[in-house]
Amino acid sequence: MIVPVETVLGLSAVLFGIGVFGFLARRNIILMLVSVEVMLNAVNLSLVGFSRHFEDPGGQVLALFVIAVAAAEAAVGLGLVIALNRNKPGAGVADLTELKW
Amino acid sequence: MTLLTATFYYMAAASIASALLAVTRKNPVHSMLWVLALFLHVAGIFLLLAAEFLAAVQVIVYAGAILIFYLFVVMVLDLPEEEARPRFGNHWPFAAAAGLSFAALAWLAQAGTHDPVGAVAAPAARSLAAEGPPQGSLAEVGMALFGPFALPFEIASLVLLAAIVGAIVIARRRPAES
Repeated sequence: MIVPVETVLGLSAVLFGIGVFGFLARRNIILMLVSVEVMLNAVNLSLVGFSRHFEDPGGQVLALFVIAVAAAEAAVGLGLVIALNRNKPGAGVADLTELKW
Repeated sequence: MTLLTATFYYMAAASIASALLAVTRKNPVHSMLWVLALFLHVAGIFLLLAAEFLAAVQVIVYAGAILIFYLFVVMVLDLPEEEARPRFGNHWPFAAAAGLSFAALAWLAQAGTHDPVGAVAAPAARSLAAEGPPQGSLAEVGMALFGPFALPFEIASLVLLAAIVGAIVIARRRPAES
């Protein structure tokens, strides 16, 4: 292995933290979804690192499932964005206050 | 430091930089392009970690399909007012603190333990490869995917089907109620 598994896990932790920050701080729904994709990529990275370290292909299979779920999440999430945009133009989360009273 | 190790550290630094740029750019299209750079660098790291199939899937599915879908939605929605508004909410320092503390927690969890992951003996669980001639990464993944993971694999196809139907139903234009 060219780098120890701890390095891969550290990189994964940093990327996940960046994704958490983006998801919590951005006001645009589409960019929040993109931050979720960044987090999913970080998790995939750690799964592949474990798979390499333990010489077990199961980690890569799990990463494959994560990619499938990410595709499903993108489809449903962007469908929701389009439906919301049809009701009221714009993609800011601060505007979505219809359920507030 | 060998060339491969240097390549890994370049990929790691470039992915962190592109992730940071992706979540902080004001123009959504610029964010998408930086996420594209992030996905390609992560695919490179997958290659270095001997996950060739996953690297190909990352490029084809993430960079090819999912990201184009996001870009498509950004262009369809046409958000000119997003440029004029603040990109972060007022609570962004708390968000930064949450992200930093999570990253620090995960980092400490893998670095500060008395029994680090590297100390655990890698099990010699190469049962699939031990029986036949040595196989590549793709063959091992394929054997695992259609062996012990066959049921989750089928369930993943059901999840994708449900997502397709759900996305169509959600985004469909409602017929005007008369």
